[in-house]
Amino acid sequence: MSEICWLKSRYNSGLRHNARWIKASGLKLRFCTNETQATRDKFVKKLQRLGFNISVNEVTAPAPAACRILKERNLRPHLLIHDELVPEFDQVDKANPNCVVIGDAADNFSYKNLNEAFRVLIGLENPILISLGRGRYYKETDGLKLDVGVYMKALEYACDIQAEVVGKPAKMFFQSALAEMEVEPQQAIMIGDDIVNDVGGAQQCGMKALQVRTGKYRPCDEQHPEVKADGYVNNLAEAVDIIVKQLHK
Amino acid sequence: MAARRVLKAVLVDLSGTLHIEDSAVPGSQEALKRLRSAPVAIRFVTNTTKESKRDLLERLRKLEFDIAEDEIFTSLTAARNLLEQKQVRPLLLVDDNALHDFRGIPTNDPNAVVIGLAPEHSNYQMMNEAFRLILDGAPLIAIHKARYYKRKDGLALGPGPFVTGLEYATDTKATVVGKPETTFFLEALRGIGCKPEETVMIGDDCRDDVGGAQNAGMLGILVKTGKYRAADEDKIKPAPYLTCESFPQAVDHILQHLL
Repeated sequence: MSEICWLKSRYNSGLRHNARWIKASGLKLRFCTNETQATRDKFVKKLQRLGFNISVNEVTAPAPAACRILKERNLRPHLLIHDELVPEFDQVDKANPNCVVIGDAADNFSYKNLNEAFRVLIGLENPILISLGRGRYYKETDGLKLDVGVYMKALEYACDIQAEVVGKPAKMFFQSALAEMEVEPQQAIMIGDDIVNDVGGAQQCGMKALQVRTGKYRPCDEQHPEVKADGYVNNLAEAVDIIVKQLHK
Repeated sequence: MAARRVLKAVLVDLSGTLHIEDSAVPGSQEALKRLRSAPVAIRFVTNTTKESKRDLLERLRKLEFDIAEDEIFTSLTAARNLLEQKQVRPLLLVDDNALHDFRGIPTNDPNAVVIGLAPEHSNYQMMNEAFRLILDGAPLIAIHKARYYKRKDGLALGPGPFVTGLEYATDTKATVVGKPETTFFLEALRGIGCKPEETVMIGDDCRDDVGGAQNAGMLGILVKTGKYRAADEDKIKPAPYLTCESFPQAVDHILQHLL
């Protein structure tokens, strides 16, 4: 999802209409993002400034999903996340942590911070690492950057444990988005730029999925050994075109 | 036991075996002298990523060990040899002290990545730089993949987690040059023209020193100093050829039974 925010203005006018087209066709729309560098509020405001008609309760994101899990299981997290995401955890008890929550912390992924998280885990009898996604990298205006999955793997290796993933491509994440829309997987289609996390993850839940040739897309994705998208489109506008035309058949 | 060739070389681990921080293991200086009276080549091998050979030598000489610089073989040396073999220019994510051992290797416009224990270079920006190089085809070389190590202020992440993270990010595998990799042990012998079957390794790390050496075809002697913990010898298969108290006892055994 971050990719859309960085597109230059020549795309914006086209995209602005897409959400409207989808909604006008009677389709339910939900934005599934692994965005963990900002709260949903900030994220939605950013998209609204680009002309999207979107509200916070149309967004499924890992942080709120993680908060629900922490509450259910009485977990108190040590957070290794982006500064901007901290408000999503305001209601969570963080004293005397008994788990670590890791998100896309970007510059907060310093040796010192990683070491602190590692020490919390290695000191627990039952180390629990919750990762807000398992992406390998994402694209920003100044190039490709390492995503949360990389540091999740680092801590897994250091502590010899397996993380629990909240966020794409975890099944639980897509299922919770579908539940919020009250829609069966077979009635839904996922559009994304990440062949494994967006397309693969959605297909594993029984949804169809299209890959857009933007953002983190690389041409070799179309020959991915494990995931074959139900379609490859040049951009979101094309995807929406196809979907809306299909509906009106 | 299968018939063995004559013993021609002895590899000795440094930290935990000959010395612990700034103290020698008692009796080791004298034991080394006795070992030198035998017709065997000796090499001192270590997985250090923070200390150059010069630093190691200085410490050992202060402890009155009689050792020459070219008898020391480190994981940094192994990395350097690999860089020269491959003729690549590395981005060196290693401790500043370790840079000394890479003198003469061009580092402009890097097309390889070398990762050692380097907290000050493990920030997000450097990791991204390394990541982009590897994605473009640069080989990833790991000095070793230790999970963590013990510092004065507690446990601290080793290079292993960062190497693993980059392997995941780029869907590639690092070439690990330090113990317990077989290539490390073979490289240590290259300079002295001996074979693994003619060599015995003495160390305190059951898996990395003894296990690694035995996997490479050498005999392994585990000493109960340094990082040794009770029953470590039960953790590898096959078990160490010999487990004994410390370096002097290991030397005694070699002189009495292996020559």
